Amino acid sequence: MSGKLKHTPERNKEGPMTEYEAVIGLETHIQLNTITKIFCGCKADSWEDPPNTNICPVCAGLPGVLPVLNEEAVRKGARLAAAMHAEVRLVSYFDRKNYFYPDLPKGFQISQFDQALGNGGYLDVPMPEGYVRRVNITKLHLEEDAGKTKIEGGQRLVDFNRCGVPLVEMVTEPDLRSADEAAQYLIRLRQLLRWLGISEADMEKGHLRCDANVSIRPVGSMYLNPKTEIKNVNSIEAVRAAAVMEIERQIALVEAGRRVESWTLDWDDAHNRLKKMRSKETEADYRYFREPDLLPVVVTAEWRDDIIQHLPELPLERRARFMEAYGLPEYDADILTADRPISEYFEAALAAYGGDPKVLSNWIMNEVLRMQNELGLSADALTLTPKHVAGVIKMVEAGTINVATGKALLVKVQESGTAPEAIVASEGLGQVSDDAALLAVIDGVLAAHPGEVVSYRDGKEGLFGWFMGQVMRETHGKADPGKTRALLQKALKGQ
Amino acid sequence: MSIIDSPAYEIAHKVKHGELSAVAVLEAALERVAAVDGRPGTLDGGLLTDEDQAKVHAFITLTADRARVQAEQVDARVRAGEDVGPLAGVPVTFKDLYCLRGVRTTAASRILSNFTAPYSATTVERVEAAGAVTLGKVNLDEFAYGSSSESSAFQPTTRNPWDPARVPGGSSGGSAAAVASGQGCLSLGTDTGGSIRQPAAFCGVVGLKPTYGRVSRYGIIAFGSSLDCPGPLARDVRDAALMLSVIAGPDPCDSTAATVPVPNYLEEIDRGVKGMRIGLSPDFLRIAFPDPHTGEIIMEDLADEICDVTLRAADKLAAAGAEIIENIPMPNSAYGIPVYFVISRVEASSNLHRFDGVKYGYRSQGDFGDLNEMYRQTRAEGFGLEPKLRILMGMYVSAAQYSEHYYQRALNVRSMIRADFAAAFDPQGDYRLDALLTPTAPTPPFKMGDIYGDSLLMQYADQLTVSANHAGVPALTFPGGLSQEGLPIGLQLIGPDFAESTLFRAGYAFEQATADETWRAVKPRVLTEAGL
Repeated sequence: MSGKLKHTPERNKEGPMTEYEAVIGLETHIQLNTITKIFCGCKADSWEDPPNTNICPVCAGLPGVLPVLNEEAVRKGARLAAAMHAEVRLVSYFDRKNYFYPDLPKGFQISQFDQALGNGGYLDVPMPEGYVRRVNITKLHLEEDAGKTKIEGGQRLVDFNRCGVPLVEMVTEPDLRSADEAAQYLIRLRQLLRWLGISEADMEKGHLRCDANVSIRPVGSMYLNPKTEIKNVNSIEAVRAAAVMEIERQIALVEAGRRVESWTLDWDDAHNRLKKMRSKETEADYRYFREPDLLPVVVTAEWRDDIIQHLPELPLERRARFMEAYGLPEYDADILTADRPISEYFEAALAAYGGDPKVLSNWIMNEVLRMQNELGLSADALTLTPKHVAGVIKMVEAGTINVATGKALLVKVQESGTAPEAIVASEGLGQVSDDAALLAVIDGVLAAHPGEVVSYRDGKEGLFGWFMGQVMRETHGKADPGKTRALLQKALKGQ
Repeated sequence: MSIIDSPAYEIAHKVKHGELSAVAVLEAALERVAAVDGRPGTLDGGLLTDEDQAKVHAFITLTADRARVQAEQVDARVRAGEDVGPLAGVPVTFKDLYCLRGVRTTAASRILSNFTAPYSATTVERVEAAGAVTLGKVNLDEFAYGSSSESSAFQPTTRNPWDPARVPGGSSGGSAAAVASGQGCLSLGTDTGGSIRQPAAFCGVVGLKPTYGRVSRYGIIAFGSSLDCPGPLARDVRDAALMLSVIAGPDPCDSTAATVPVPNYLEEIDRGVKGMRIGLSPDFLRIAFPDPHTGEIIMEDLADEICDVTLRAADKLAAAGAEIIENIPMPNSAYGIPVYFVISRVEASSNLHRFDGVKYGYRSQGDFGDLNEMYRQTRAEGFGLEPKLRILMGMYVSAAQYSEHYYQRALNVRSMIRADFAAAFDPQGDYRLDALLTPTAPTPPFKMGDIYGDSLLMQYADQLTVSANHAGVPALTFPGGLSQEGLPIGLQLIGPDFAESTLFRAGYAFEQATADETWRAVKPRVLTEAGL
């Protein structure tokens, strides 16, 4: 799907058909995977902890407490800013965002307002259709998370465990032009966050949360129409579905001659539908002012440059390099850069192998990725090392073993941790390519199945594969397939 | 004379050396409380009796049992030959903004009337670790919002030991009155616009607003976070220096606490003022207030008796070897109060947000279908007049459409006030002052009820103190003499950042130079009338 949407409403058949495009901006909240919270010593991750068991006077907002900034949160925020090509400000400030809600124990959230850690930035998102969408960043700042509330048995319950978990709020310009583009942005963002090791980015667990601002306009126009804000979308699929639904709703409204109002909508994941939460005619006044309890965040140019210099090659850069330097198809490059461990695995294996990158790519995409998925491990956690994989391919290419043996061998290495060359030697997996030995096996097979031989000779040539299988079985898969094929053909023809 | 009227410094010395037991000191303190304090402040305290009107009412919570355990521990440790610490056996009180683990901490507000702190302030921990004995929590203006202590929700409010018909000043009125009347030797207060110094001056004791960041704020209920300075109230300069040496220094729980090394204040205190350059400013010998109709700043000279006491002190310091430099321009201090009105209230209204009935403290009783209704009722019932006024003002001047005009402008003027001090103290500048000498308050203590209710007029009691808060610089107040009516007049020395030691030296030199003056022998009336 490109960014353009056609709509032909029933009631407007006479008028010229209007083509609309969606205008989408995403507000994301990214939970940083620091050990402790942003302003106190409580552990940051409270997943599955009973309510209000991971709190202290500071994050529970008791009278008299003061925040103390966790430097690691700044470091991780700065890494993200640098990776998003944003300026990392040498001096940034925390501010108070004042509002009342039971999950906000201080009655204000410590956030960053006008002088945030990150300034500007963008992400170039490659779309499956082949084009690249540049998504500009308007806001990238650090803040503390709030707690959670729920209504149960007519009572409102509050859990402060999440209070003070470090977040980066990152907001895009309204640069996305379709639900699919929004989904692609989130896919690439999630990949980046994990790649940088700054967030687990698990949307189900709320590590990455997204609100989508959606409006539509006629294709070609530059103005912005009133937008709606969709909240509570906690999977990439939900973002896509909610945006599709909202775009359709807005087009139908406009086509019916009505106005899109600035609502806040709630995504109901269970029923796949949008519900109106509230009208948003007036912006809340949060009375931002500098947080007097924290000093300005001052970083040196050296500190910042160190962050930038130590950024890893980013996933999209590596993807492009895999295509360019190794001649890999986009599909392969995409898969081999899905996460940092697999991409590093590939390059380490390639260094050890030294052969055709595409051959290696096939082995890794088919065999290693399957193993990884079955075991639920990331590539760097496999016992099977890149060097092992290279060794197996080299043995196949040298004719020492055949492909089937090679594939089985990978599994054996993973299970045993023994080097593949050692397994081949000790288990006698070397390929049988000796003509006399192969002929003896073939003769035996033919003698044992006279009926099939007659059938074959009567023209049932489809049986050839069956004969190959019998030979392979007899040799425990070690027969050199090329030689076997040639010898078997001769023998069946009675030559 | 009771042992409790001795300097803390001497008591600690004797306790440490086994010449005096901490329990005996505590008993003397409790005896004094029983003699002069009357009933403690309570919510809905009822009508004032004649007896109430003659008592001090410094306390909200007396922690006699806790104090006894502490005193016995101090004595046991002394007997065991341990070093108990520089405040060994010294009875202290804390303004009821200081969190004290396991003890009710009210901020003198109904909204926190049932709040028991689960942790202690850093300063409280340091004071207790230094061997002090915690006598209790003392009264203040509600959330420290005031200059007379009359706005406390805990009635009767504190009265001035020199004349119980008068206010003790505020907001640390309980601290000042307790120290002045021998209910403990030392107290910790907080100073946001003058809240240590003005009550200290009104009660004839010493008070120090340290440099912003010299003392940790962790565990002290916040008023104006960028202005708040915890500090000591004491009966003499040496005791104030002793207390500061215990509480000063960096704190991992307060990132605004400075890492500047803490000097040995006690060692430096008697080095005298020879060669010290002490300034006088005409801008601190008058008050300036905006005309309510035109906004024009009107200047009015201070009463002669206030100016006279100040100039006499300058003469004394000059005689002790200081150089007095007159006519130091401090033009922007005239805007101290309007600027304070804006900044302190923006911060205060935000700091009050957490008192919402959800987590702790008072919650309006009732079945609320609507969350906002619960907030509204709780805050309407839980907050007194002053917090409400400050919320209104603070919310107004920080609103998006007014913030630029009020709050941002106030911040700019605040920088200008700080620049005045920087120029006066600049070692390469025209004046090269070590300290500026001023009166502490524009008037002697006023009568209860005279000003209370006029929030604006009340604020002008901080006229001479508030600039030091804006600038963040340290300021020491100490008794300078008595008014014609026999009421204390306080003097203030303001110094550059982290120059507390200089201020102590000058204040101590003044004490030494005036030790034999007759006014020094005059005691607060509640003590003489009780035959103490």
